[in-house]
Amino acid sequence: MAGVWRRRITNTIGLRIAAWYAVVFVLSSTGVGLLAYNLIDASLVRRDHDLLRVKLEEYAARYESDGLGALQDAVAAEQASGGPDSVLVRLVGANAEVRMMSAPQAWRPFNVGSLDDSTPPDGTWAELSSPTDTTTLEVVSKRLSDGVVLDVGRTTIGRDRFLKEIRNLFGVLIVAVALAGLAGGLALTSQALRPLHSLRDTVRTITETGRFDARVDAGPDGDLVDELGRLFNAMLGRIETLVGGMRGALDNVAHDLRTPIARLRAKAESALASGASPDVTQAALADCVEEADRVIALLATLLDISEAETGTMRLALEAVPVAAITAETIDLYEDTAEDRGVTLTSDVAGDLSVRADRQRLRQVLANLVDNALKYTPAGGRVTIRASRAADGVHISVEDTGAGIAAADLPRIWDRLYRADSSRGEPGLGLGLSLVKAVVAAHGGRVDVSSTPGVGSTFTVTLR
Amino acid sequence: MERNTVMRILVVEDDPTLAEFVAKGLREAGYVVDLAADGRLGLDRAAADRPDLAVIDIMLPGLDGLSLIDAVRRRGLNFPVLILSAKQSVDDRVRGLEGGGDDYLTKPFAFAELLARVQALLRRATPAAEPTELRVGDLTIDLLSRRVTRAGQAIDLRPREFALLEYLARHAGRVVSKTMILSRVWSYTFDPRTNVVDVLVCRLREKIDRPFEPKLLHTRRGMGYILSAEPSTA
Repeated sequence: MAGVWRRRITNTIGLRIAAWYAVVFVLSSTGVGLLAYNLIDASLVRRDHDLLRVKLEEYAARYESDGLGALQDAVAAEQASGGPDSVLVRLVGANAEVRMMSAPQAWRPFNVGSLDDSTPPDGTWAELSSPTDTTTLEVVSKRLSDGVVLDVGRTTIGRDRFLKEIRNLFGVLIVAVALAGLAGGLALTSQALRPLHSLRDTVRTITETGRFDARVDAGPDGDLVDELGRLFNAMLGRIETLVGGMRGALDNVAHDLRTPIARLRAKAESALASGASPDVTQAALADCVEEADRVIALLATLLDISEAETGTMRLALEAVPVAAITAETIDLYEDTAEDRGVTLTSDVAGDLSVRADRQRLRQVLANLVDNALKYTPAGGRVTIRASRAADGVHISVEDTGAGIAAADLPRIWDRLYRADSSRGEPGLGLGLSLVKAVVAAHGGRVDVSSTPGVGSTFTVTLR
Repeated sequence: MERNTVMRILVVEDDPTLAEFVAKGLREAGYVVDLAADGRLGLDRAAADRPDLAVIDIMLPGLDGLSLIDAVRRRGLNFPVLILSAKQSVDDRVRGLEGGGDDYLTKPFAFAELLARVQALLRRATPAAEPTELRVGDLTIDLLSRRVTRAGQAIDLRPREFALLEYLARHAGRVVSKTMILSRVWSYTFDPRTNVVDVLVCRLREKIDRPFEPKLLHTRRGMGYILSAEPSTA
């Protein structure tokens, strides 16, 4: 039911656009039609007037040369021929007596006598309205040499009929244009609205199924609707990444936390069950607190990773001097390295800086150095280097440790991957994942090169 | 207690276990503690008891923490407020501090950390003269010349070791967590996985304790470290 209504609403939008289209079409055709009609009307009037003037001159010439009788004969002959161009001919003497009057029977109702009261005959046009219908009688007059006035006139009935036919024709044409406009508008809008329909169907699929893998069928054209479709697809992609990332993070949290929480529970349970001395209970409780702290740290790291991976991590970007960050990292790990018999040094140009979140960059470097120290035996070296390259600033942490087998290289970034030698050390699998995610969130990348038995180098590239 | 008057702390927290945990710890540290289980009660107690400091949970039934702080401030009560929250994001932290809180602590937390923050806030509220010398047992730390002696014998410390010792001595007799040390000595707010704190404590112990008796620097498993001349607290 709801679907039917939604469809009807979108169709109404289509119909409305089509109607507007048709209205514009009709209005412009009407404008053109009116213009043409007025031109035709004017040219018809001119033609009729020219004809009457010719007749007037012709009859006047006949009267002047051959007298009234000849004029009467000529008019009678013409009337008898019954041509369509029958005219009114009237001759009025100087004393207003009608000396001749000839007109078709149908024109009798016109009050021809009123002509004598009107303006003097100087070639202007007089128009007499018919008392019975809408036609008019157009009359032109001329004063002849002996003082008589010759009137020649004609009704506009032929012209009116012709114009009426043209008007009818225009009427039919306008209806046809309106229909064509409506049809064309509908065709055009349905074409234009097709991506919107696709958009609507996609949204409906997503809201009904909750699956974000549906996409709008957006064409390659650069128009607005296609762009909307593409943007919508991009938005869906982003949402899908976010939702997927969150789902993944939840899975990982559940997975990663199960082990330490199980350990925590086991320790507490065994302390309870043994009914041991206060000292033993005290130790068990301390174990529990330490284990809980590890769970909390793990949780924080997992949240950081998922924030970085889904792009929701807030980065306070600033120009961070690489030398300062390196010095801080060395400061943090100096004693640890010394205890392990590993030489920790740096080789960084003083003026290098990168755009990064200072705390996050510290975290990245600390994780890499931490990792390097863990895998480097006593007598080895860990070196932090930084240099400018074509694609940005390279910050690398190089160790002389065991190295990573080529087969393992692609997997070291996996969240739960731990090289066999480090299995059992909690949280280790997350360090490199965090580094990778945080660096990617900065728009940079991390690369690793390693030779088993010689050492590994992790390189962070930032702009 | 080095203070003449007993400080009064109001704890507004709806989780009874956590509230009791905080109250017990603060009472052991010598404070008088009032508990309120929701925001409205908290406001009543704040107005009636005029505490020297309040520990307020953000998520409270009745009246939430930020509204409570707002109401307290509008009544002209200016005691420092330590906000507790389960939310970790920077936004919440900023909102809490802008809303009238003076410090912010994320759950879960170590009690030592809460205590340190409470003490820092109280110190800020009632400034006392800065000591120039710290003494723990026969260990003397001169803060001006940065010289350390034990039983009259000068001890040579590296700057980082001195910073750690100073921090421990300022909190003498109280447990200091690894997180607190990490943020004080290195100003790192996240937890590096290798235990750099253990390493530094080990080095310090080597210098101030190894050649002497009794031992001053003790490890409290699961909690942190404590610098104390009384072996009974170990």
